[in-house]
Amino acid sequence: MTTMTGGLPPPAPTPLFFRRGFRNLLAQGVYVGVTALVIFYVVQALGGREYGFGFLNQPAAFDVGNQWLINVDGTTNTRFTMYLVGIWATARVVMVTLLLSTVLGVAVGVARLSPNWLLSKMAMLFVEIFRNMPLFVQIVLWYAIVLFGLPQIQNALDLGDTFFLSNRGIAVPWPEPDGGLYGGPEWLTAVWAAAVAAAAVAAWFVRRRRQELERETGQPHYPNRWGIRLFAGGALVSFLALGLPLTIDVPVLSGTDYAEGLTLRPEFTALTLGLTIYTASFIAEIVRASIQALPKGQTEAANAIGLSGYQRLTLVILPQALRQMIPSVTNQYLNASKNSSLAYGVSYADLFFVANIIQNKIGHAVEVFALIIVTYMLMSLAISVVMNFLNSRLTLTRV
Amino acid sequence: MTRKRWALAAATAMAVIALLAAACGGDGNGEEGGGTLQTVLDRGELKCGVTDSLPGFGFKDPNSVYSGFDIEFCKAIAAAVLGDAEQVQYVPASSQARFELLASGEVDILVRVTTITAQRDVSRGVDFAQTTFYDGQGFVVHADSDIRTAEDMAGTTICVAAGTTTEQNLDDFFNARGLAYTPLQGDWPDPQDQFLERRCDVLTSDKSGLAARISALPNPEDYRFLPLTISKEPLAPGVRDGDTRWKDVVNWVVYGLINAEELGVTRDNVAAMAADPPNAAVARLLGEPFKGSEVADLGFGVDAQFIQRALMAVGNYGDIYARTIEQLGITRAGTLNALYTEGGILYAPPYR
Repeated sequence: MTTMTGGLPPPAPTPLFFRRGFRNLLAQGVYVGVTALVIFYVVQALGGREYGFGFLNQPAAFDVGNQWLINVDGTTNTRFTMYLVGIWATARVVMVTLLLSTVLGVAVGVARLSPNWLLSKMAMLFVEIFRNMPLFVQIVLWYAIVLFGLPQIQNALDLGDTFFLSNRGIAVPWPEPDGGLYGGPEWLTAVWAAAVAAAAVAAWFVRRRRQELERETGQPHYPNRWGIRLFAGGALVSFLALGLPLTIDVPVLSGTDYAEGLTLRPEFTALTLGLTIYTASFIAEIVRASIQALPKGQTEAANAIGLSGYQRLTLVILPQALRQMIPSVTNQYLNASKNSSLAYGVSYADLFFVANIIQNKIGHAVEVFALIIVTYMLMSLAISVVMNFLNSRLTLTRV
Repeated sequence: MTRKRWALAAATAMAVIALLAAACGGDGNGEEGGGTLQTVLDRGELKCGVTDSLPGFGFKDPNSVYSGFDIEFCKAIAAAVLGDAEQVQYVPASSQARFELLASGEVDILVRVTTITAQRDVSRGVDFAQTTFYDGQGFVVHADSDIRTAEDMAGTTICVAAGTTTEQNLDDFFNARGLAYTPLQGDWPDPQDQFLERRCDVLTSDKSGLAARISALPNPEDYRFLPLTISKEPLAPGVRDGDTRWKDVVNWVVYGLINAEELGVTRDNVAAMAADPPNAAVARLLGEPFKGSEVADLGFGVDAQFIQRALMAVGNYGDIYARTIEQLGITRAGTLNALYTEGGILYAPPYR
């Protein structure tokens, strides 16, 4: 054994705690330990109860308001049916919210980029106010405004005997199935709806065919114009041919409530308004950012070929910005759909509210909350599927 | 990873589990040992689940002072068990969350205008003690309303608190008569606000609760009760299922306050009666010797004078009623809540 002269002294052994291997093991050990403990406590807390979803098939013994197009009472129906009523209530709010918040969000987002100083500042104010206020506060505020601000039913605002405004709700005219001029059966309305659907499908095919022709020949074939003509024409002709199988139901005051027409109840109105405005303020920012992310050359090129401001926006800017927007807007849609559970704060009987009533009556908290979680998850997945489909269609670069 | 390293990781995991288990073990609610009674004695404070928005029963004023019929029973139990009626922590319990609060140990007792039902008794983890107030469900409308009978309520909107027995009675009542109605369930905001703003035509709840709410309004004459009582609503304190020792104490504080009224022991004269009991029954109730006899310890887990302390703090049942519910204009004579000797159904088992 030879001794090296002038070499470095052998390094002192690293203390155990500072060895990488030991630290890794320690961290993993802590992680495994904490996880095991959490699982242990959850299992222990959940153990010793009886589980099962049988209670959902028993009579509900409660009723909920805010039903639309359905009339379900709690005596003859099961708890599960009442839960479905809640899901339908949630679905209405979510559908209206997604639609309106998209329209409003795009409008505000575009307005923020407007060269008009007043318009862009107003859009900014809208975004900053509604984005920075807690959603629950907004919803409650809207409800308070509707409940305390609007007149009571006996003093309802009457706008030309057609629209009524009170804290019982906003009553508007609404189409109603009808036998038509020849006094036919009410399902004539359904026949007409089928005819409209058929016209829509035909219009879609014609539009696509004309698009193809346009591409092949280079001559204008006006695909959109002809599509719309065919759809509108089909709807109108079938409507006349069937003898106007639809009437407009005008609301009237009856006792202490409205009859006929459609009544937007304060709970629905406050919730939808709050959700819509809040979501729109986020969508507006996404729209603005997506437009600003486009190269400036796109705007300049559109100007150079002489497009008008509206054409520039609809033909050049928005279609490209849309690809940027969709993933972020999808997130906002998912948020909005889950935020709809704040219905709880304004006595709107959505699925969360109904599930809570059931849970409060019968217990089974674990099952009920599992049901709530699964329902919201399915709803989110459904929205994701649709939006991902849209995304894949738009990101596809077709030559 | 070598076997040695696995062993080290496993040992660490075990050590962490052991440490955490030891750390968490200390703050269990102690049900295994002496039950809720021991927990309350150890803590030196009673956690009482109450309502904070129902004048006369449980109400929190702007200075955060609680008052009402239910609050007095919280005080009585605290005085009996802990010797101090002020050692109560009031926990506002919503109608939706009340049973979970009790079952999870957040509160020791629920004194919160809660109706006894079979469903709750069996499946909500609650055991009900002696009823403190016999109530029934009623309806109130605006004085100028056309509604006078049950049939007039057909097609109207009715405000009702979500998740209550009231909600269920309402459904039974209307469906039995084949009448349609639209419920407007609320927990928050309070259904009362919606009724006052005429968002609904009718407000329904326990009659006493309705009377309490209406009497607290600036213009009670603008509202009218319908001459209908559609249900039995025995309101009782709730304790956790299976804790008989604690339930016994709660039960006998309530019985004690009712018996005291029957025996003529009031908050004003309880000290004098304790010093010189007029008869054996009073002496037993107050836990005092009578003519040289021994004071028997019945084995409640608290000393023999616990009812005496409750009486010192809040007085007998009639005293409590007069201080709280009568202030709302709900008289007691001739109702179910009078003593059985006066035509009511308050009948407490004898204390011996």
